[in-house]
Amino acid sequence: MTLPQNQSPAEFEYYVNATSIEEACRALGDGVGTILAGGSDLWVQKDEGVKIFGPRLINISRVDELAEISIGNDHVRLGARVTMTDILNHGELGNIAPGLLEAANRFASPQIRNVATVGGNFANASPAADSVIPLICLDAEIELARLDGNAVAIRSIPSADFFTGPGKTVRTDDELITAISFKPRDGKSLARFFKSGPRPALEISIVSLGIAADILDGKLSNVRIALGAVAPIPFRARKTEALIEGQKIDDKLIHAALECLVSEISPIGDVRGSKWYRQHLARTYLQEALTDVA
Amino acid sequence: MNKIIEKEEIVGARIAKLDAPEKVTGRTRYINDMVLPRMLYAKIFRTDRVHAKILKIDVSKAEALPGVHAVITAADTPDGKIGVIKDNPPLKGDKVRCIRDELAAIAADTEEICDAALRLVEVEYEDLEPVFTCEDALKPGAPVIDEERPDNIAMGQNFSHGDISEGEKASDHIVEGAYNVHYVTHCNMGTSCCIADISASGKVTLYSQSQYPYIMKMDLAPALDIHPGDLRIVQPPVGGAFGSKLDVYPNEPICILLAKKTRRPVKLTYSREEEFIVSPTRQPVEFKIRAGMTSDGIFTFREVDSFLNNGGYTSWGATTPYVTMRTCTSHYVVPHVSYSARAVYTNNPFAGSFRGYGNVQATWCVEIHVDKMAEVANLDPIEIRLRNANEPNSITPQGSDLGCIDLVGCINIAAEKSGFLEKWKTNRATWDDGERYKRGIGIATSLHNAGGAKIHKSDGCGTILTMDDYARVTVMTGASDIGQGSDTVIAQIVAQELGVPIRDITIINNDTALGPWDVGVHASRTTYIAGNSAKRAAIDARGQLLSAAEKQSNVTADLLDLRGGYVVQADNGEVVIEIAKLLRQIHFAGEDSTLVMATDYYEPPTEPEDKDHMGDMSAAYSHAAHVAEIVVDTLTGEIRIEKIWSVQDVGKIINLNGLEGQIEGGIAMGIGFGLHENMQIEEGIVKNPSFRDYHLVTAPEMPPIDMTFIETDDHEGPEGAKGIAELPTIVIAPAIGNAFFNATGVWIDHPPLTPEKVARAIWERDNPNLAAE
Repeated sequence: MTLPQNQSPAEFEYYVNATSIEEACRALGDGVGTILAGGSDLWVQKDEGVKIFGPRLINISRVDELAEISIGNDHVRLGARVTMTDILNHGELGNIAPGLLEAANRFASPQIRNVATVGGNFANASPAADSVIPLICLDAEIELARLDGNAVAIRSIPSADFFTGPGKTVRTDDELITAISFKPRDGKSLARFFKSGPRPALEISIVSLGIAADILDGKLSNVRIALGAVAPIPFRARKTEALIEGQKIDDKLIHAALECLVSEISPIGDVRGSKWYRQHLARTYLQEALTDVA
Repeated sequence: MNKIIEKEEIVGARIAKLDAPEKVTGRTRYINDMVLPRMLYAKIFRTDRVHAKILKIDVSKAEALPGVHAVITAADTPDGKIGVIKDNPPLKGDKVRCIRDELAAIAADTEEICDAALRLVEVEYEDLEPVFTCEDALKPGAPVIDEERPDNIAMGQNFSHGDISEGEKASDHIVEGAYNVHYVTHCNMGTSCCIADISASGKVTLYSQSQYPYIMKMDLAPALDIHPGDLRIVQPPVGGAFGSKLDVYPNEPICILLAKKTRRPVKLTYSREEEFIVSPTRQPVEFKIRAGMTSDGIFTFREVDSFLNNGGYTSWGATTPYVTMRTCTSHYVVPHVSYSARAVYTNNPFAGSFRGYGNVQATWCVEIHVDKMAEVANLDPIEIRLRNANEPNSITPQGSDLGCIDLVGCINIAAEKSGFLEKWKTNRATWDDGERYKRGIGIATSLHNAGGAKIHKSDGCGTILTMDDYARVTVMTGASDIGQGSDTVIAQIVAQELGVPIRDITIINNDTALGPWDVGVHASRTTYIAGNSAKRAAIDARGQLLSAAEKQSNVTADLLDLRGGYVVQADNGEVVIEIAKLLRQIHFAGEDSTLVMATDYYEPPTEPEDKDHMGDMSAAYSHAAHVAEIVVDTLTGEIRIEKIWSVQDVGKIINLNGLEGQIEGGIAMGIGFGLHENMQIEEGIVKNPSFRDYHLVTAPEMPPIDMTFIETDDHEGPEGAKGIAELPTIVIAPAIGNAFFNATGVWIDHPPLTPEKVARAIWERDNPNLAAE
């Protein structure tokens, strides 16, 4: 944490107001651009001296195709510029991905939700990013675009493989996140999102936990559990998932799952919470999710 | 027949604050918005050490930066120091005592150039052994913080009354406790800011957020080596102060010294992060308490010893024992009492005054302890309080006459309206039922001064009142309005006396060159003291009007009244003459021409404490009782407040809007202190200097508040009013703390009751062999 005396004023040489994916990718081509969407985290990080802008600031707020939400039979696609408010206000997303809706609802404050984008939440790669957790539970894929010659080339990365460290992802400097897509679960399913904090707004997660699974005969399958703020990157609790997979949910299993989860995560202690409290919250959230199923 | 005018009651009504239209439309020009022609911007170079000898400060590179107009260090400044015991040089030249000490300051064309210049300042240090706790600082051989005070004690107070050993003999139970109150800070929405402007003849105008502009002149002068009479303090609208501007801090003399050096106006504004790290905190206190009672729960003695972490310098935090002492010795009837306080230098940040002063801390300690005693005596929290409640007109151990108090009324109304006892019993029965969510109800009460506090030789306030040819009234008062709404209250009192609409009154309260002297905004005193002075000036002006009207109408003055802009006959409201017309007749009367003007200086009938802490320093005292009903999530540790019942003795309601606003705002601040706000200071360094990690209460968490006002009608207060502003902040936190015990059967002695602290306390109770790491 530094005082403003260590700050630099915003410095960039060129400003690009992109109106298409191709234009944005072209501006990013030499890998020295900084992408601006909502700016809700980027600007704060710039002011704190944590983030230094590249010589070219590329505003993608006017790329309309990045703001689309499309819902097909077996495919949901959120444009990278879709805001948390867009998710909350969308009539169908709540039924398809209730965990995502809950995360958007607990995300920062209404003012920030109006500008903060789902693509930005992935690009920023905070260990405590809220919208990332339910999307990992849905096996979402991140679409990345770059200019290859004169054409835009797209690749997809599974969300669980996207993050490499705090603030770091597999995105290369010439790539633009264009969309997050996932397959909705069929049939009866579980999708929950939990986040710490007594304030309904403006809480940075001490711990967040998302869980998604298919429910059949009191058993869970295709279990996905993801946690925020317990590791340098959003964390998939694979051992706990495996322990629950296909098993009948009863007190004994819940007890074993909680033990497994606590042993599987190794959070740090900081000003927001100790290691013990983070483990305790993670255990509490999983307990609530599983008890409600049982 | 002439027009008839009915009497209108302006006092006691709901009046929107006079500055509300400007504020809600965004037109208010706060000090932070102000720009003067040719103004420069300033920033302070601060240390990153907590305890170090300064070997060398090199500012040559910073001075050479284009756009920099001046760089000053201790070498350029007078030797005078600031602070309550004058231990704080505005710029430090020999040693650093706590984080962010001021070593140099820069004036430049822009803040950005200041930032760049700050990076060019070079300092060499020799680190000294630091000390962070009172306990360590009092050990023999501990590092010395202030060479003039080698025992590390900045201030100390002792008081005793009766004989503790007699009290012990009379006791069937003795209950001991320890309560540590943490660091919180004011979080003014407007960060600290001042603008200094020096005339060619050397007179200084300081645009300031000060809460005590008149005494400030005296405090500032030595640090500037100028005559206090050459200082003029102007107070533009401020974004809150809450006690944080009741002392001179280094930014103000530094700003003036830079203006002097550059011969240009200079503005110095803190960033939010600086505000968290640099501005004074609430005084943290470690209390140890022993208290006795009979088997019937009648208090026999109370012994309180306390240590205050003074930090590196001494501001008003070290004087909070003057208020803490009253609560520890005089809240409830306790025949034998003793109290001690030591403010101990450490290398932590230092504390100032903060709404509620030492009483937020003291009331937490005493009120949680009273509930613990109730448990031992097998009494409920209402009964133990009623059995020991102070009576009206009783004299406290320190010699204060409590006057027309109603503590019993506060307790009874709070208990009845909240359905306290039934809920309290029901909740206790659920401690072991295995449910995750627990409901709790708790009560706390507090005693506070409500008629000023004579901590200086005078606790007075002056008023100059004039009326123009159109019956518009200008009231120049010494009392600053830092948002508390005193301008509106003063206008109501004057409007009531003079029978003019409130919109015809202009309050001037922001310039020491215009207003007559006042002590400052503190101690819940402005309505009481400035209100009385304004009322007396208005009564004087009223007399001038009525005697002129008597000559006009042949109706004697005692049968006349002033209503709605007219002189009327008091019995039937029949108009005699328009006040404006009367004023013009008084003004343009040939040789007898005069103006209606009145002056007043009101000195409350109080006395400063003597060296033994005896003395009745306030003209009135008041109580409040709060009941909080909460729901505890025993797993996450999150506490939700369902409802608050607030009962307060207000003397007399002047402005219902302002009163409710003070209660709500005070409770929000008190909830923050009790549940969320916590400056995390580790080895002298503030770890969470931002609103991201320092959590204020926000609107969605505010519970409904059921308010009851008791009007005891104080004989001395204006219209019978008492000061009301601090009590709501003081009382609520221990009510929540006691509700937590009622919900869970677990005590948490040290606030705040953060989710982690709550979760850990319950986990450790339920898993005694698996203590949380």
